[in-house]
Formats: sequence, structure tokens, C-alpha cells
Amino acid sequence: MSRIRIDGLSKSYRRTLALDRIDLDIEPASLTVFCGPPGSGKSVLMRVLIGLEAPSSGRILFDGEDITGFPAAARSIGYVPQSFALFPHMSVFDNIAYPMALQRVPRAEIAVRVRQAAEMLRIAPLLEKRPSQLSGGEKQRAAIARGILKNASIFILDDPLVGLDFKLRESLMEDLKDMRAEIDATFLYVTSDSLEAMTMAEQFVLMDRGHIVQAGPVETVYHEPALLRAAELLGFPRCNILAGEFDAASALCTTPLGRFAVAVENGAAPGEAEIAIRPEHIAPAIGATAPLAVGTIRLTENLGSESVVHLGIGNTTLVTTVPAASLARLDLGDSFPFTIRSAGPIVFDRATGRRIGRATPEAEASSASISTPGLPVAGHD
Amino acid sequence: MTEIRIDRLRRTYGALIAVKDISFAFPAGKVTCLLGPSGCGKTTLLRMVAGLERPSAGTVRFGDRDVTRLSASRRDVAMVFQYPVMYRTLSVIENIELPLANDRAIAPAERRRRVEEVIEVLQLGNSRRLHIDHLDLGSRQKVAVGRAIARHCAVTLFDEPTTNVEVHAKLALIRAFKELRQRIRQTIIYVTHDQTEAMTLADQIALMREGEIIQCAPPRELYDEPNSEFGGWFLGNPGMNFLQPRPAQGGGLIVDGVPFPLLFPPEGGSNGNSGILFGIRPEYVRLATAPSPDAVPARVLRRAIAIGGQHLITLAVGESRIKAKVDAETVPAVGSSTFVICPIAHAMLFRGGERLAERPRRLA
Repeated sequence: MSRIRIDGLSKSYRRTLALDRIDLDIEPASLTVFCGPPGSGKSVLMRVLIGLEAPSSGRILFDGEDITGFPAAARSIGYVPQSFALFPHMSVFDNIAYPMALQRVPRAEIAVRVRQAAEMLRIAPLLEKRPSQLSGGEKQRAAIARGILKNASIFILDDPLVGLDFKLRESLMEDLKDMRAEIDATFLYVTSDSLEAMTMAEQFVLMDRGHIVQAGPVETVYHEPALLRAAELLGFPRCNILAGEFDAASALCTTPLGRFAVAVENGAAPGEAEIAIRPEHIAPAIGATAPLAVGTIRLTENLGSESVVHLGIGNTTLVTTVPAASLARLDLGDSFPFTIRSAGPIVFDRATGRRIGRATPEAEASSASISTPGLPVAGHD
Repeated sequence: MTEIRIDRLRRTYGALIAVKDISFAFPAGKVTCLLGPSGCGKTTLLRMVAGLERPSAGTVRFGDRDVTRLSASRRDVAMVFQYPVMYRTLSVIENIELPLANDRAIAPAERRRRVEEVIEVLQLGNSRRLHIDHLDLGSRQKVAVGRAIARHCAVTLFDEPTTNVEVHAKLALIRAFKELRQRIRQTIIYVTHDQTEAMTLADQIALMREGEIIQCAPPRELYDEPNSEFGGWFLGNPGMNFLQPRPAQGGGLIVDGVPFPLLFPPEGGSNGNSGILFGIRPEYVRLATAPSPDAVPARVLRRAIAIGGQHLITLAVGESRIKAKVDAETVPAVGSSTFVICPIAHAMLFRGGERLAERPRRLA
């Protein structure tokens, strides 16, 4: 395991800046998920860390040692690339053993370790086969086994589950989490899938356009986004973002859903704003509860235990989730009265993307004498 | 509207049996989704209905017409593929109209009515004159869906049409499909490996595994009452939890040495190697802070934020794992001890992969 320090790291290709002065500390033996849309720079950052590309400026330190100029072979990193990249002419066993053979690990030890990893990843019966005889999921397991069997203190998995079946991804995520618990190393894991990121992450780095948007424990980034972009990029289904107008004097934000009282955190200038409303901040107004607004159901996606409901309100679409059982009688075109949780949504300054504060529907804010606390974030790991 | 009936339909590739003597009726005017993991035979089955693949044995009937030996072009089928197949030099409206124009049985007025109908429902009015090349993949696929539906064929077939479109276009496509369905009733067979898509679109889902249809039911019923361990696992995000409690020496059941406060049917519970699995979906598992007769002691292994801000908790009961979906307010920390309650009303039992009719009983 290694402590990784990334210090002012930039990487440009001609005129495109792929990484823009990245600073980051990664604790030894942690698992950090890097998430962001395509082109956010996460894969470039991994390639620079591995040594497949040189940075344009900045430094990389492993346990305090500057390794920026080291060749890839001298960096002690196990790597699972996006594409399986197995050697077609070798057996699965030889493919997995290859990096250890290069490291001159004794053959008896190689055999034991390959078998252990193969059993953990449930590919032991396939070791004598060729890659062409394997399914996509089996190939990916072999690639993962090869990546993690290297004697390394850092492991980098670059979107290892992309393109695989949903159910296969579910079980491989479980396998990877188990494996990670048994290997004493620092893990970096890249994905562009929000749900996969939240499932895998302990520490979390959200990237966008060559920058780090926010880094920290995944629950903090989810519940306390510092920037609009963080609220936008993390979460499944995606966070609803509505345009609004913030008035600093009254601390009110006017939105298509009416006015919200804002608990301003660090002072803010009046002007154009965005309000971020997570799907779980929207609740159906049942019985005596007066609705804040009424939407029309445009689509319900059935996820099994819950359903994602897409609501139309004028030109706005809002997305919320409801337990599937409660949806039995709702259909396309039906009206859906709802309320919005007090101190759930967050208002951001549109120009800077900075956070202004938590918002509460004005009607509720004026009727309640004490403000409701924000979403509780119980016991961080 | 036509019922599609297949009888002992089989397709082999060398030693591999891709489709194993399936007999099944796709009801007229309904959407049937063929759902299953890759390699389960769903696409092969679809292609045999389309006439793109010749069955090794068995028959395909459209209504009372045996079409087994007819080529695809003579079967009266429309099909939407993973990638939109378009006439690239033609506009949106021309693409939808062309297959209809080639059919002399359709009068020009009827042709125009059908084209306008799908254009309206799909909200393609603004792009009707655009050349296909100017549309993104998602919009092109929408045109492909409209073109197939406008033909009013005996059956319309969809082969994973949303696989290659990005997530927003995919939602638009699913919405368009549902809106079209409300207006135009057709017999539709829709192949997908995506359970959400199947549960969202289907009137009924035929769940496939290893060349067979193992269960066919409306989405809700398939989810709530799986007839197999596979069905419990395959549907759901994540799938059903399975535990294998064994009889304890002093009576009752244990999971890895931890007492399990339920009893199984006598023929299973008394037999040491009964192999009965206990299944419960993560959303029904509850956590408790204090011991009670229903509670099983457990340790929190992992927690993660899941769909719609819920938490997905992985718990260890002995060496076994159980997952629970809980609200954000009640999430215990990783490493902490807790208690798990598995309400029997939502629990089911399986043996040899098959669902048992009996439910577990509470310990007296």
C-alpha cells in the first residue's frame, strides 16, 4: 500500500487541457473511486499515474518519493484496463500468471496464487481454456485476476465493468469489494456510472473537464455538494436542476415551483440561481398534506422495488422515486400532487456554481417556527 | 392483430442448443418482453419468428397461418434492430412512408394518416423534413420505431433497440414507445437484457434462461412471485437474498451457527441435507437495534448510497450475506452490530432452483 500525492498535475494535448492543476492526496490502503462524464480527465489521470503518459507539469509522489519521471515498470502498479487485452495464444492460466512471471515470482508460488484468485473470481474451471472460449464476463474476470495478482502496492481499475450485463456487473462489484478487503493495497477505481460509483466508493473524487469538482467520502459529496456540478453529476436518478432567481435581501429563491426560503451559508450575491432537488426530496402529497404543486405523470420506469416517476409541470420535468407498490394505480397522464422536503433542496449561484444554502418551500418555512435540519448524514465511515 | 404461436421450436448450432423446444403463444395486441442474460437464446428466438433464422425443428404460426418455411419478407413482420437501419438520403417522413408506399394494398389517404399519426405521437413534427443524417442516434432509432409501428404488420419485433443510445435518448425512446402503445395496439415481441426496460414496457415478461422460457407473467407478478431462484436473483437491483439455514442439533435452524428464528416445512426442516434456500428481497429486510424473537444478529459489512438516496446495506450473518435497503435516517455504521428481521410474509423457499409452494413458519 502506498500514499499517493498528486501535486499540481496538468496534462495537455496540443490545445486541449485534459488535466488542469490537479492536487489530491490518497491515503494508503484506501479505495478511491474516480467518477465523471466521458472526457472529464479521469482516464488520463490514471494513465499519467501508471506512467503510460508523461504529465505536462506537476509531480506524483508515492510515499513521499517523487516518481514523476519513473518508467511505468518501476512504479509497482497493478492495472486492469477497460478492454480485457488478454493474449489470445495463451491459456487463461498463463494470461493471469504473465505479470508475475515478468516479476520472476517462483513458479510454485505463481500456481498457488493464480488458483486462489481464480477461485475467488469463480473462473477456476476455465484456467486451461483460451480467451476465445470465454464469455465477456469470464474474460473480464481473467483480466481482473491478472491485474490484481501482480505484486503491487497500488491497483488501478479503469472502468472494469463497462459494457457488461447488468447482473454480471452486480456480482463483479461484490467480488471486487471482497478482493479489495483481502489485498493490502491502495485501490483507484474509475467509472462513469453514478450508481456503480456509489456502490464501490469509500473515498470519492468527482471529475469534470480536467478538474476535481469535489473529493471526500462519497456520502459527504452526495449529501453536501459544494458545487452545482457535484449535485448534477452524482446520484441516480439524476438530481433535478431548475432555474431560479435568488434575492439576497429576503433570502428567497423564486423557481417554477414557487418561492423557497434559503438558509444562506456563506453570504451570496443576488441573481440567477439554480435549485437542485434530489428525487428523494419530492414526496407524494397524501391525505391532508397540501401539495406544493401538481405534476402530470409522463413516464414511470419500473425498477422492481421502486419506480422512477417522470413528472411534467409546464415545461419542466421532475424525476422522483416511489416504492413500486404505491404506484399500482398510477398511469401515464395521471396527476401527481407532491410536496418538497424542507431543507432538502440546495440553491446554487448559476454564474459561479457555488452553493448558497438549503432551501425550504416558502409556505412551510413561514408556518414553522424552527427550521428543519437538513438530511441527516449518520456515521461516516 | 395476430397471435403468434410457436410450437416445439428448436435451434441448434453444432452441439449447442440455443433454443430448446419452446412452445409459447404471444398474445394478440400485447407487448411480450423476452428477458434474460446474454446467451439465453432470446435473440435467436426472435430471429426465428422474424424469419431471419431457420428453426432446426418446430413451427411458427401467425394466427392460423404456418409461416415456418416463409422468408422474412413474406411473413408480414416489422423489425427494429440495435442500430437504426435507415435510408440515409431520405428525410424523416420519407423514411417512415417508404415501406407503406411499396405496399399497394394501402391507399394513399390511409398511408398519410398512419405516417402523421406516428409523427405526432413521436413528436417528430419539427424534424419531419430533415435528412436522417442530421439526427442523432437516439432520434434515428425513434424514427425506426415509428416506421415499424406505422406498417401495422402482424407482429412488430424489437431487438434491444435502446442498447446503443445514451441515457437521455433512451428515456425519450421508452416514453415514445409507451405513447405509441396507448394509441396503436399491436402484437409486439421485445427482446432486452435490461430488467427495468422490460418491467417498464411489457404487458408480460417471458423470462429466459439457457434456451428455455422459465416463467411468463405480468411484470409485477414476475417480480413478486418468481417461480425459481434464478428469477428471484435476475430481477431486482440488487436481486433477492438467499440464505441456507440448516437444522440445529437442539431443534430449530441455524445459519452458519447463528440461530435463525424460522421453521421450514417438515419435509425440509427435519432433513439435514434438504438444501432448502430461504429467499427475501432486500427492500423487505428490516433492521432492529435490539434483540427480539424475530431478529437475527448481524454485522454491517458495507453501506452504499443506492437508487433515490436510499442506502444499500450489506450485512454478515455468520459467513452468509444479506442485503437490505434502508432509509437514510436509519443507517448503521460499517462494522457495527445490528439485528436483521426477515418478515415471513415476504419470504420464500426454494429447493433445487425451484420455488416451493410453502412459506416458512415462525418459530413457536
